Amino acid sequence: MKLPDIIYILPLIFVVTGAVSLMLLSTFKSITIRRGIYFTLLFLVLAFVSNLINMNSFDEAYSVYPFADLFNKMIVIDTFSDYFTVFLLLGGILTMLIGLHYFENHKNFSVEFFSLFLFSLFGMILLVHSNELVTAYIALEIASISMYILIGFEKVKNKRIEASYKYLVLGSLAGVFFIFGASLIYASTQTTVIGEVGGFISKNINMDASLFFIGGTMILITFLFKIAAFPFQNWAIDVYDGASLPVTAYMAATFKMAIFGFMLRLVLIDFGSIRDEWYGILVYVIILTLVYGSFLAIIQRSLKRMLAASSMVHTGYMLIAFVSVSALGESAASSIIFYLVAYFLSSIGAFGLISYISSDDKLRITYDDFRGFAHIRPYMAAMLSIFMLSLAGIPSTIGFIGKFYIFTGAIESGHAILAIFAILATFVSVYYYFKLIAVMYFFPSAQMKGEIPPLKGVAPIVIAFIAVAIIWGGIGNTFVAYFPGVDFLINTAKEAYESLFINCYLVQCL
Amino acid sequence: MNVGILSIIIFLPVLVAFSLLLLPVGAKGSRNAAFFTSLVIFVLAFIIYEKFELMGFMQFKEHYNWITSYGISYSLGIDGFSLIILMLIATLIPSAYLWLWEGRTKGYWVSMLLIQAGISGTLFSQDLILFYFFWETMLLPVFIIIGMYGTGNRIFSTIKVTVYTIVGSLFMLISILYMGVAHFNEFGVWSFSLQDLVSITDLSRVEKIWLFFGFMLAFAIKIPLFPFHSWLLQTYSNSPTGGVFLLSAIMAKLGVYGIVRFIMPLFPELYKEFAPYFVWIGIFGLIYFGIAAIMQVNIKKMFAYSSASHLGFIVAGIFSLNVYGMTGAAYLIIAHAMATGGLFLLVGKIEYDLGIKSISALGGIASKAPIFTVYFAIMLLCIVGLPGTNGFVSEFLIILGIFGFEHSAGIVSALSILVAASFMFWMFQRAILQENSNKTSKIKDINKKEILGMFPLAFLIIAMGVYPDWFFHKIDPTIQHYLKDILSLRIDG
Repeated sequence: MKLPDIIYILPLIFVVTGAVSLMLLSTFKSITIRRGIYFTLLFLVLAFVSNLINMNSFDEAYSVYPFADLFNKMIVIDTFSDYFTVFLLLGGILTMLIGLHYFENHKNFSVEFFSLFLFSLFGMILLVHSNELVTAYIALEIASISMYILIGFEKVKNKRIEASYKYLVLGSLAGVFFIFGASLIYASTQTTVIGEVGGFISKNINMDASLFFIGGTMILITFLFKIAAFPFQNWAIDVYDGASLPVTAYMAATFKMAIFGFMLRLVLIDFGSIRDEWYGILVYVIILTLVYGSFLAIIQRSLKRMLAASSMVHTGYMLIAFVSVSALGESAASSIIFYLVAYFLSSIGAFGLISYISSDDKLRITYDDFRGFAHIRPYMAAMLSIFMLSLAGIPSTIGFIGKFYIFTGAIESGHAILAIFAILATFVSVYYYFKLIAVMYFFPSAQMKGEIPPLKGVAPIVIAFIAVAIIWGGIGNTFVAYFPGVDFLINTAKEAYESLFINCYLVQCL
Repeated sequence: MNVGILSIIIFLPVLVAFSLLLLPVGAKGSRNAAFFTSLVIFVLAFIIYEKFELMGFMQFKEHYNWITSYGISYSLGIDGFSLIILMLIATLIPSAYLWLWEGRTKGYWVSMLLIQAGISGTLFSQDLILFYFFWETMLLPVFIIIGMYGTGNRIFSTIKVTVYTIVGSLFMLISILYMGVAHFNEFGVWSFSLQDLVSITDLSRVEKIWLFFGFMLAFAIKIPLFPFHSWLLQTYSNSPTGGVFLLSAIMAKLGVYGIVRFIMPLFPELYKEFAPYFVWIGIFGLIYFGIAAIMQVNIKKMFAYSSASHLGFIVAGIFSLNVYGMTGAAYLIIAHAMATGGLFLLVGKIEYDLGIKSISALGGIASKAPIFTVYFAIMLLCIVGLPGTNGFVSEFLIILGIFGFEHSAGIVSALSILVAASFMFWMFQRAILQENSNKTSKIKDINKKEILGMFPLAFLIIAMGVYPDWFFHKIDPTIQHYLKDILSLRIDG
């Protein structure tokens, strides 16, 4: 069923309207933090629902250009982008719900924060919808600039400001690479529309593609920077550590997803010809990301820094699937999408719960702070354990299924060596994830200091819901009909992958 | 949906465990629930034993699709070899519970139940991903039970054993995935079920060798086979009694089970080719761990090595490639589980009552606790292999099997039985018989529950030693099937 074009871009409209109106409303005293959060949630839920309506109006993979006469293929609405939008919006909603307690108990937040939050989300959603390099750049910068401010928002803390500046300076530099790469691509192909670039290359096989190759590699550098892969990883730990916990959760889970979403589109559609050239570089990037990330994660005493470092390792796993795409692996592309979802759930759960626990004055951030935690708050400890197990990829959690796809995809496309490196990194990760479980369960409760908020309010319910979703994702199946389980997620991920090739400009499609 | 009996055996303990966690039940209630569950499972296992047909193939099959896009299914089944281990679990666990009756907390019982579920799941899985699922999930309650209820440097031990085991199983995972992909490349369909993976033909020899060792590493660590035993000592000595009981009596056997269930059908050629090495590794382990056992002062550590020593013997048996060796190995799995499990329970009682682990501090127990001593002696004689116990039957068969395989190996293995005899009797004399200090004066003889709990073990040790045919006929068709159909060997005798 074809809907009017305006319906397709409703999610975007809702988010940006929410952002602007919150900005205006923030001058009123009567808009408290809590009301601001409700307002944000309202717009996010509206966007979420309209996005689901979009997805459900089609029976199979789809791809449309809304307002083609106006935007001229700058924006695309396909299963792929809508699938990512679901999780981006979900990320926004969950961050808000989980952070509720945190935002209210820390005095330095104001309503503008939520406006910026919506702006950043708008940028991310636009990024996964964008079908053109300049649009993508604008979307990326909207998201990034909002992110810089969100990170430094709690004004009192020097750490926040340091993190914000670090990210600002390095992030802007990385952004410049993107725009330079885009202009080189334009120079060699006379277009910046995704699809047409690849089409041009496939029509002119004999042309000198070196400008195109350099341009593509410039964009790759921005991408590697944003996902904090080796050797562009140095900002990650300090920035993640410096940001307030909900923002860290948001960055680690949601932002990364948007960037992967765009990059997958670009690489799968356009860069078929340079993917193989990249392989030689990316193999080392992956191995070093895994090794260095594991090393950083082991040596951390602070839980937050450990999670930040280990997110690098997860980036490494996703990059494995990213290179596996090049050869044969049809399953590799959908495996990244699935892994992103798995990582998204586990990390937002872990960060969210930690932020909930440390939302009072006493910050609980090191391993030692969690000694004997299980004896005081058994349910919270159980949930935190579930998140750790999922991050470590232990069976019966969604993290295992995610790893299963990544490794299978890697082996399928002949990269068994990378799979072995990933296995070694996984084995190291068992140490630093299990350490938290050990600390929580195996020490007497007397060593727990300070007050811990009881299980009350919205946040714990949401976190418990995520924990159940993780278990369900790990074992759920076709036994319960009509309830989305693993199979459903995989099939949708596959459909999303197919939708990328509906409007194909390559020679072989024409 | 029709729920099969095997699924009930797996998921009943899980259900009980999670109900216990959510309901406000105390330690006693949890214990009763756990004990009752184990009895129900015993009954179910007995039903299976009775209905089991004397054939070599899989029975009581269950099959549901799990992750259809990758052909992963929830498929269960048992054959004669799984059956004996199932009976073992079903019999041993209620007995052990009677010995662990007092002084345990709710978390302890929940962990025990979950371990039992994991073991059953591992034992029934016919799909490799499902197998891996249970194999790995089983680690979590083990992790908890050692870490929370262990003694000594328990946290270090539990992290060490977890990391060690996960290394092995991750390599197994890669091998499983590799085979799944190979199946997909050859047939165009995803599948991870054992009977489909067996039919893969286009793997090169080098690939197969890598895969073989990927699987073998996981199982060798679990058993533990020399030289992957360095987790053993600390883990056994710092585990609580229930944990060490399950580890030594049952989980170690799962390593052997894995070799027979997966490595043998998947790589029959390599299995035959590498058999001589593994027979010798097994025999070497038998002697090496035996000598290590002689030197231990700590009684739990001594049993840890003695257990590893016999597992080496079992491994030698299953690689001996003939009916005697294989049957003997299957029989020794039972005998050893009963004897070692029983001994760890008995030693656990000493530790619990007196807080002593060192052999030299013990002594004079025989005069104060005669029934205890009788049981202790039965278990010990079984391990030593005295005629009249099932230990004798199984060791005799394995030695016969190894002789059939290679004479020199047979001679060495027959002689090395002496090692076991020497450390066991020496320990028995020092720790139990001879009069010593008054440190042991507080020991009480075992109570009625404990007598009842140990009775099935002692009874079976003797019954199986006197009348082995009673058990052989259940497993014989399966072993014939392994040798004839899977390994395509000629069977004589």
